[in-house]
Amino acid sequence: MPDEVAKRVLVVDDAALVRLYYRTALERAGFEVAEALNGVEALEHVLAERFDLLVVDVNMPQMDGLSFLRTLRAKNLPLSSIPALVTSTESAPRRIAEANAAGANFYIVKPLRAETLVQYASLFCGARHG
Amino acid sequence: MRQVHVPEFPSLTQDEFRRLCEFLYRRTGMIFTEAKRYYVERRVVDRMLATQAASCEDYFARLRANVSGEIEQFVNAFTINETYFYREEHQLTCLTSDLLAARLSAKGRGDPIRIWSVPCSTGEEPYSIAIWLLENWPHVDEHDIEIVGSDIDTAAVALARAGVYGKRALMRLPPRVVDKYFAPDGGTSWRILDELRESVRFTAVNILDRAATGSHGRFDVIFCRNVLIYFDDIARRNAAENLFENLLPGGFVCLGHTESMSRVSPLFEVARFADAIVYQRPEVPKRA
Repeated sequence: MPDEVAKRVLVVDDAALVRLYYRTALERAGFEVAEALNGVEALEHVLAERFDLLVVDVNMPQMDGLSFLRTLRAKNLPLSSIPALVTSTESAPRRIAEANAAGANFYIVKPLRAETLVQYASLFCGARHG
Repeated sequence: MRQVHVPEFPSLTQDEFRRLCEFLYRRTGMIFTEAKRYYVERRVVDRMLATQAASCEDYFARLRANVSGEIEQFVNAFTINETYFYREEHQLTCLTSDLLAARLSAKGRGDPIRIWSVPCSTGEEPYSIAIWLLENWPHVDEHDIEIVGSDIDTAAVALARAGVYGKRALMRLPPRVVDKYFAPDGGTSWRILDELRESVRFTAVNILDRAATGSHGRFDVIFCRNVLIYFDDIARRNAAENLFENLLPGGFVCLGHTESMSRVSPLFEVARFADAIVYQRPEVPKRA
């Protein structure tokens, strides 16, 4: 994509291995990736930089993923409208409804294959990746 | 630099040699006999030079008094840190094709998976486990994976934390994997990515010290390769019993390919898989 600006994804997960797994998959597909290990760090990132997509885990220390999304959605445009893909090991419909109410655009139950992540990221970013 | 007189080869008397070996054995469980005199003397000379000791007797006095933490330095000089990434790959294959699945079936959702690499030397093994999981285990984002690397050699542990490696350590890794998980660090070394450094916790521990090993909690899988061979029967049995205590019921221990638990301890059950033979702590204690 020589004449396109790379799409930027923020991966928010407290597990370093998971961040690395998602980051390497997305970077290989041409995305630019930043990482945050909880909701607080994620907020710092979105306030300081532009992102096209957030990939957000639910259970994290300090500020969990859903609290982060609620805070983000209460902010002004364009911050409040960054698409968010929530990833979690929880598959109960109640959990999914909670995430949607908090501001998730899509909810995926882990494990998440690298190709699947790239497909969803491309979809949300409107980019030709993967 | 001040010139220090150290005999070319400090001909340790038999009594000195024996005392040193006893000291090492008590501290590390490692056995050295007359056959290894050269190996022992080489290291004693190194430590005498480093501490500017005037004589063997002088050095022993410093060692006994633990001047400037000399005991730790002395022990570090005797550990063997020759290893590389993806060593005994068949056990890593066994980990992702059989051991983890067996452990998960015995666990509740959300329970962490704990893996211990002991001794971990300069970190190649615990980092190999992390990389292997990223490359070969499709559930890597589904579980809270805790990897701990421990070694008696504090200098090795410090290097493990730093995570910088030369070509030799990386020789068995496919170039694609090196590119993916390491960044060039100067002309001849590579630094492991920060996320990998974060995902492994390193500690200094003597595998024969029950209080120290006990504080690490219980694990699903322990890699304990190529250390029991340096121990005598008693130390080997103590180490095996400590490993047993550090395993969750149903947990596995992987030894080096030349090692066997069968002659060391009756506590474990042999678990044969397609890629490796490992040892399992039974779910229910075996009858004596």
